[in-house]
Amino acid sequence: MSTHSKAAKRFVADAERMAWHDKALYAVREKRDRMMTTVPEWEELRRLSSAIKRHTLSRLGHYLCEFERNATANGMVVHWAKDAAEMNATVWRLVREHGGTNLIKSKSMLSEECGLTPYLRERGVDAVESDLGERIMQLLHQPPSHIVLPAIAVRREEVGALFEREMGTEPGNSDPTYLTHAARKALRPKFLGADVSMTGVNFAVASTGALAVCTNEGNADLGTSFADLHIAIMGIEKVIPDMEALAVFTRLLARSGTGQPITSYTSLYRKPAPGKRIHVILVDNGRSEWLADEAHRNMLKCLRCGACMNTCPVYRRSGGHTYSYFIPGPLGINLGMLRSPKLYHGNVSACSLCYSCSDVCPAQIDLGEQIYMWRQQLDGMHLADPVKKLSVKGMDFVMGGRRRFYGGIALARAAEKLPRFVLENGLNPWSAPGRAMPPFAPKTFNGWWKKTNK
Amino acid sequence: MNSKEIILKKLSADGMPEYPHPAPDFAPQRFDDPAATFAERLGAAGGRAVQMAPGETLDDVIRRCYPDARTIASAMPGVTVATLDPDAVEDARELVDVDLGVVAGSFGVAENGAVWIAQDIRHKALYFGATALMVVIPKDAIVDTMHEAVVRPEVDDFGYGCFMSGPSKTADIEQALVFGAHGPMSVTVVIRA
Amino acid sequence: MVWFSLVLKLKQMKVGLFIPCYINAVYPEVGRASYELLRKVGCEVDYPLDQTCCGQPMANAGFEKDAKALAERMNALFETYDYVVGPSASCVVFVREGYPRLLDNYREHACVDARIWEICEFLHDVVKPARLDARFPHKVSLHNSCHGVRKMGLSSPSEMNVPYRSKLRDLLSLVEGVEVMEPERRDECCGFGGMFSVEENAVSVAMGRAKVRRHIDTGAEYITGADSSCLMHMQGIIDREQLPVKTLHIVEILNSKL
Repeated sequence: MSTHSKAAKRFVADAERMAWHDKALYAVREKRDRMMTTVPEWEELRRLSSAIKRHTLSRLGHYLCEFERNATANGMVVHWAKDAAEMNATVWRLVREHGGTNLIKSKSMLSEECGLTPYLRERGVDAVESDLGERIMQLLHQPPSHIVLPAIAVRREEVGALFEREMGTEPGNSDPTYLTHAARKALRPKFLGADVSMTGVNFAVASTGALAVCTNEGNADLGTSFADLHIAIMGIEKVIPDMEALAVFTRLLARSGTGQPITSYTSLYRKPAPGKRIHVILVDNGRSEWLADEAHRNMLKCLRCGACMNTCPVYRRSGGHTYSYFIPGPLGINLGMLRSPKLYHGNVSACSLCYSCSDVCPAQIDLGEQIYMWRQQLDGMHLADPVKKLSVKGMDFVMGGRRRFYGGIALARAAEKLPRFVLENGLNPWSAPGRAMPPFAPKTFNGWWKKTNK
Repeated sequence: MNSKEIILKKLSADGMPEYPHPAPDFAPQRFDDPAATFAERLGAAGGRAVQMAPGETLDDVIRRCYPDARTIASAMPGVTVATLDPDAVEDARELVDVDLGVVAGSFGVAENGAVWIAQDIRHKALYFGATALMVVIPKDAIVDTMHEAVVRPEVDDFGYGCFMSGPSKTADIEQALVFGAHGPMSVTVVIRA
Repeated sequence: MVWFSLVLKLKQMKVGLFIPCYINAVYPEVGRASYELLRKVGCEVDYPLDQTCCGQPMANAGFEKDAKALAERMNALFETYDYVVGPSASCVVFVREGYPRLLDNYREHACVDARIWEICEFLHDVVKPARLDARFPHKVSLHNSCHGVRKMGLSSPSEMNVPYRSKLRDLLSLVEGVEVMEPERRDECCGFGGMFSVEENAVSVAMGRAKVRRHIDTGAEYITGADSSCLMHMQGIIDREQLPVKTLHIVEILNSKL
C-alpha cells in the first residue's frame, strides 16, 4: 500500500469531513467553469499560454538575463541562488545586513519548498505569514494543504478555537467575517512593525524588469508599504517575455484558480520607491535539471493556480496532507517525483487517470499523462510496489495464453462456489468494504461464439 | 563559477530545441458596452462604479458615496474635503486606517472590473491602508481586456502600479467570502463626467 | 437509398470484434449485443477466437512494458480486418495510445491502433445508421467515462469551453422510448481506474459511492455507458449497498428489440 493510500484511508474514514472538503473544492471548480464560459477564446488562450511558456523555457537563460538587466536598470538588486540553501542564506544575509528582525511575508510556494520560514525563525527572525490562510496554518503549526487555499481543510470552528487561543476572540464565535476581521486587527501591528517585507513572484516580466505579484487580500502590497527592504523570491521558471504575455496569464490565472476574472490586486513592482530597496532572488533548486528532463519539463509551465487540485477527484476526497510532498494533488505528485522519486513515489498511486487535471490546466500541462509516465518509470528505479508487480506478472501470465486465461476463468468460477467470506475479505484487495465482487458469467463470450458460429 | 554562471550553464545544456515566440491566433473578446460590463464585473468583485453627474464635483461624489467618512486623505486637485494630505505625511503608517483615501486611476478594464493605478502619491500605503478607497478615472477610459490594458502608455512607465479589482477580500475560512482582509473594505471607482 | 448504399459499402468491410477480457469473463452478454448490433447495421462481423486482454490493466499499474506480448498478440489477431471494434472506450484508448510504443516493427497507420474503434464512435462516425429499430422504455443516466470523454471525445469534456455534444446521446436518440438523463458533475470520475481501485480502494469506493448517488438522483432506473469497467465498479457498490438502480452497457440498449 502506498503512503498516500494509507493516509487517505484515514481521511475517508471521516465521511462528513471528506464530503465537505469535496464539495467546497468542487464549488471552486464550478466557479472556474462559469468564468471560463465568459471568455469565448478560452481554449485559444490556454493554447497560447502553453506556447508562450514553452517558448520561454526554451530560452530561459536569455530571458533571465534580460530580466536581470532591466530590473537592475530599474534600481532593483538581482541575486541568483542555485539551491534552497543558497536562497535561505541570501535572505538571511540581507535581513542581517539590514538589521531587521520582523519580517512580514505574503504567500510563496517557493518559501515552503525551501523551508524558509522555519529557517528564519530559528535565527530569531519573526517571520509572519500575512495571507489569512497561511497565517491560520502557521498558528496551527501545520503545512498548507492547498497551494491557493492553504486552510481549505480547516473547519470554521477550528479557526474559531485557534483565534480564541491566539487572539482572544469571543469563545464559540466561528463566523468567518468576525474571524477574518479579528485577524486583520491582530496582524495590523505586524504589518506596521515589520522592518523587512517578503513576497513571492507570480510573473517576472523580462522586457520591463517588473515583478507581478497577485493577491486577493492586498497583504503583499500592505506588507511592502512600510519596510525599507522588500525581498522577492522566485523560481527561475517565473520569468515571462513581455507585457503581452502578462495579459495572457492574468486572464487565465484567477479564472482558473478561484473563479475570479482577476485577483483583487495584480501589482507590478518596477522601481523601488525613493529610499527603499527591492532585492530579487532567482532560485533554481532543481529546475534546470527538470528542464533537461524531456518527459517532464512541461511541469515548469505551471502558473500555480491550483485548478488541478480543485478538479482532482482523488485530492478532493483525500485532502492535501495525505500526500507526502508539500504540494498535493496532480501538481504535487509530479513535482514530488521531479524532486525525489525515492522520497515521494508514494503519491503516484493517487490518480485514477481521469485526466481532468490536463483539461483544466491553463497552461495545458499534461499532468495526468505525466503521472502515467512516472508509473512506468518506477520499476526501472526499483521503486515499484512488489505486491503490485507480482500481481501484474500474474495477470500477464494468465492473459498471455488462451488456455491460461480461459482455464483461469473456469477456476475462478469454481472459486465463486466457495462461501462469500472466503473471497470478500481483506486479502482480496478488489473487495474493499463497500464494493461487492462481480460474479463470473456461466459461459464466456469466447465459449458462446465457438458454440454458435461453428 | 558563481551561481549565476552555474545556472546559466545548466540551462544552456537542457537539450531543449528553441521554440519561436508565438503570436495570438485569435481576436480577444469585445463588449458592446464596455462601461456597463466594467460596472457589472466590478460589482461582482465587491466594488462599485459611480458615474459623476454633469456639474458634480469630486467633493460632491465623496459626500454622496461616503457621507460618514471623517478622516479623508487625498492629494487630488479638486478634493477640498480632504482632512489629510498624504504627500505631506513623513511616515506611511499614519495613512493606515484613515476612513477614506481618494486617489487617481488611469483606466478601467471591462473584462474584470479592474482599474490601473500607477502610483503618483508619495506612499502607496494609502491604497492598501485606507478603510475605503475611491479611485477616480477619466471619462471613456475603459478598455475591453487585459490585452489592450498592458499596452496602454500608462502601463509603460511607472515605478509601482496595480490592477485593482474591488476591495481586499479572502475566502480562507471555509470558502466564505469576506471583504476587508487586510486592505480596503470598500472600493468605489468614480468615472469622471 | 443512402441507407442501402451504406449497407452495401459496409458489407464489403470486415469488422473484427474485439472483446476485452473482463467482458469475455463477466459480461459476455455485452459481447453478444455488440455482435448483434453490428450485424443489424449491416456489418460483416467476425470474432477472432481466443482473445485475452489488451494489456491496459498492467499499463495503468505502471507496467506498460509487460503488455508488449499482449499487444503483439492483439495486433496479429486483428491483422486482416478493416475495422476492429470493441465495446470498451478505455481499452480502445490504450490500444491507440500505448501500442505505438509497444509493438515491434511498428508502422504508423498500419497496425491495429490505427484501425480500432470503440463501438459507439464507430456507429456514430463511420456507420451513421439512420435507425436502429430499438426500443427501451426506461429512464437511463449516462455514465460519461473519463477515457471515453477526455481521450476519445465521446462527449465534450466539462472542463473545456467547447460546444456540448455527446455521441452516446446521439445514438440513444435512435432508440424509442428511452429517456436520457445526465448526473450532476456529468463527467467526474467514478473511481475505477484499474489498479487504482485496488491500491487506493478507500478513495475509489468513496468516489464510486458519490457517483452512483448522483446517477440515482436523476431518477434513472439504469446507469449506462460505453465502459463496462466503470459499470462493474459501480455495480459492485450497488450490490453491496442494495441500491435501487442497475448498470447496463449502452450496446444492450442500442440492441434492444422493438
